Amino acid sequence: MEVKNFNVLLVDDELEFLETLVKRLTKRGLNISTAKSGEDALKIIRGKGIDVAVLDVRMPGMDGIQTLREVKKIDPLMEVIMLTGHASVEVAIEGMELGAFDYLMKPADIDELFYKLQDAFKKKTIQQEKIEKLEEIIS
Amino acid sequence: MGTMINGFKKLFIKKPKLDAADVEELRIAFKDRYHSFKLLLNANNRALEIMADIERALQGRQPFGMSFVRSSCTAVSVNVFNMIKNIEKLAPGKYGKLNARFNNIQQNIDILLSQKKSMEDERLILPLNDVYKEMTDLVGSKMANLGEIKNRLQIKVPKGFVITAAAYEKFIMENDLQTEIDRRFQSADVDNMERLYTLSSKIQQLIITSRISDDLTDSIMQAWKHLESETGGRTTLALRSSALGEDTQESSFAGQYRSELNVSVESIFQAYKEVLASKYSLQAITYRLNRGFKDEDISMCVGCMAMVDAVAGGVMYSCNPVDMRDDSIFINAAWGLPKSVVDGSDACDLIVVSRKAPMKIIHEDIKAKERKFICFPEEGVYRMELTGKTRNLAAIDKKQAFDLAEIAVKIEEYYAAPQDIEWAVAQDGTIYILQCRPLQEMEMEKRDIPEPALQTDREVVITRGGITASPGAACGPVYLADKGVDMLRFPKGDILVTRQALPRWASLLNRSAAVVTEQGGFAGHLANVAREFGVPALFGVPGVMDRLSHGEMVTVDADSRAIYKGKIESLLIKSEKKKNLMQGSPVYENLKQVSSLIVPLNLLNPDSPDFNPANCKTFHDITRFIHEKSVQEMFNFGKEHNFSEKSSKQLYYNVPMQWWVLNLDDGFKEEVDGKYVKLENIVSIPMLAFWDGFTAIPWDGPPAIDGKGLISIMFQSTTNRALTPGIRSAYSDRNYFMISKNYCSLNSRLGYHFSILEALVSERAIENYISFQFKGGAADYHRRLKRVHFIGDILEKHGFRIEINEDNLIARVEGHEMDFMKNCLAILGYMTLHTRQLDMIMANNAALNHYRSKIDKDIQTILNSK
Repeated sequence: MEVKNFNVLLVDDELEFLETLVKRLTKRGLNISTAKSGEDALKIIRGKGIDVAVLDVRMPGMDGIQTLREVKKIDPLMEVIMLTGHASVEVAIEGMELGAFDYLMKPADIDELFYKLQDAFKKKTIQQEKIEKLEEIIS
Repeated sequence: MGTMINGFKKLFIKKPKLDAADVEELRIAFKDRYHSFKLLLNANNRALEIMADIERALQGRQPFGMSFVRSSCTAVSVNVFNMIKNIEKLAPGKYGKLNARFNNIQQNIDILLSQKKSMEDERLILPLNDVYKEMTDLVGSKMANLGEIKNRLQIKVPKGFVITAAAYEKFIMENDLQTEIDRRFQSADVDNMERLYTLSSKIQQLIITSRISDDLTDSIMQAWKHLESETGGRTTLALRSSALGEDTQESSFAGQYRSELNVSVESIFQAYKEVLASKYSLQAITYRLNRGFKDEDISMCVGCMAMVDAVAGGVMYSCNPVDMRDDSIFINAAWGLPKSVVDGSDACDLIVVSRKAPMKIIHEDIKAKERKFICFPEEGVYRMELTGKTRNLAAIDKKQAFDLAEIAVKIEEYYAAPQDIEWAVAQDGTIYILQCRPLQEMEMEKRDIPEPALQTDREVVITRGGITASPGAACGPVYLADKGVDMLRFPKGDILVTRQALPRWASLLNRSAAVVTEQGGFAGHLANVAREFGVPALFGVPGVMDRLSHGEMVTVDADSRAIYKGKIESLLIKSEKKKNLMQGSPVYENLKQVSSLIVPLNLLNPDSPDFNPANCKTFHDITRFIHEKSVQEMFNFGKEHNFSEKSSKQLYYNVPMQWWVLNLDDGFKEEVDGKYVKLENIVSIPMLAFWDGFTAIPWDGPPAIDGKGLISIMFQSTTNRALTPGIRSAYSDRNYFMISKNYCSLNSRLGYHFSILEALVSERAIENYISFQFKGGAADYHRRLKRVHFIGDILEKHGFRIEINEDNLIARVEGHEMDFMKNCLAILGYMTLHTRQLDMIMANNAALNHYRSKIDKDIQTILNSK
């Protein structure tokens, strides 16, 4: 299969929602990890390489925006897709300014989410290549 | 209350002279009545306002949903009911017949609002082999069309089955979803994109987390097994929405709902619920709203068809969608699944085939296709980047193009209407038809003006090229939309510029002046909806996102496929107005039906013997009747109790005036002894405002009349003493103000003119209103009519709503701030003095113009002095 396999972290406190997504995205060839909260998510991100995370904006404890802020501190290259059922322009813009890749309505169309994940991963790969080139030039 | 009044009556007959206690008691009774009267007027005012809202909605320029229809009906009937309650207080038992009329009208409205189609066929699943055109109500028009061409026309369509409308109804009912959905819609502000977003998300989640009953689960599994036995092996499915009311001639519903491709047996129930949930996707909600479809009328049927793992696919039109005279077949093709054509997410080939035998390819535009969609082995589809020479190759060959064109012609001939057809070529070369529906056609506006003579040195062309996805031209600031967040930020009237013509942008169409995209052809969903909404769309303009900058003012001419800097008027002239999408829609028709029980006014003449409760056919009739009677009842109270005679005071303004003032409540600064009340002692806001205008500019006497005018006035005076039909009480002979601090009603006769003014002015802007009626006159009918229009014109200019019936003028202003209302009253005061006997000169245009400019100047002086 030509589709590149990469690591995705789904973060949502709604378990039922998580389970279905894990099943369907795994069938589409992705490596999926899950976290039930922002705090959990950060632990996982510190532990292993995650390429793209999908964050629910509304979670008890650390919310999506806070988590996003922390994620970008740990791994600035990691891409994050925000998922939300509540539209608020302010929150959406804040998320984008903090470097979120995009913003999707929950429940997301499985295909749309899948393509967004691919696009986000592609962006990450290009960024990495750029940095490697820069490092080559510098050294 | 009634007996109390009768008590007073006796009191007065016995004792013509009132002592202080009697007057005080009487005043309390009056206050009580006056309060009812005020409530009644308030309700009357509200009811008329809502009727005006309904009439505005019926002009069809603004979208509205069933929640508007329902809440308007409820609000009108509550207010009419309040009026009935209050007239009952003013005149107990006298107008009891109104209740029966009210109930009858209300019942008829309820019947109209609760109409719903009933389901006769209760089968949950139907094999596609048993589906025909006439089953639309059970399987939705998309599947009915497909079944028809499969079974009656023997066109190759993948095997499959339909989960019916009955299954949908059952699912909704068993989970008790409709009530919850209606509740959420009622409380949502549908103009607010953020709220709509939340609403859409919540309802979709609600549906997805609901349970599918066991018998439906079993039926679906059984149908699946049967399908696998037919196809001989493991099969995956394409789940396609097929909503009732979708894909009719007038509406496309293009891409509003979800399709799920390559679904495995493990995911079918999830996928089914997701397709159902897509009935409430953001674009579907906004589409229904803009097109006036009723939420509860749309049942989601779902077609489940064996997945065709296509080598190539696309969409074809059996004639040119932007020029109906061109009957060539337009084929859009891409590598892999037709998804990229439908989505508008990538460039695709265009092959145009002339239909005259032998068919010929008359145009061929082979694009570099960046990617294709193909099936995962297990489930789902993925995008594959195309590399090497395949991307530049035509996705179909000539033979396939002719085969497709022949199918298009065959289906078009069968349905006797141009068709929009989705197709796929399987691995073995077989052509399958996946969908067909009537083509949304749009006539290219024929230019009356020659090609705009553009001065290239001044007007700069930014880009040329692209595809006319929807004709027309528009101008506006550029909005570069890329991310989901732009959905919420997009401002009304901007030009939507985006990379891909994705269906999700459809929810912004009713707010966009035009749409421009880098990728996508005219066969995609977004193009369909743009044509339907009459929004100019120019697709496939390479690199346009980089060539336009955010906020830049441009003119998009989709017809000549160019974008210009700035606003170019000559291009905009030809662009027709946006289509009126509400008219003819189910929601619109429903409002029209109920409005016929609410808005028309049949009781016109209060003097006629027909002016009675039994003839009230609409809510408007009831309000008109009650309003008329309530004013009389208020007068009668005073008359019967000698109240006005005792309590009304003659206005003293420098000298005693021929004006009387009846204080209803708190209209005087302090109690007044004696015959006169001085103007300084009056605190009625509306009366003072009127008086300001009345006394602002002195009257220099009646205009000189010509001989004819004089004869007419003498004739009228001898034949018609009461020029004021309607109210023949003693009060019509004098000029009476009835006032409280915030209220004033004035019946006045100046010369031969009769006017009724009624005004409520306070800090509560929404309750404020002025109604002014003007009638009569002594000149001949023609001149009276002319004068009424003369006055109407002036008042209209100053913000009044004008209604003219023969020589009767009604002018209204409502809901404005106090200062605005006071200005209006000053104008009425001025007009009351200065327009008397103007009808004498109505035949003389020069004199008329003179007076008109004097009046305009005077009013300006009055308003400026404030």
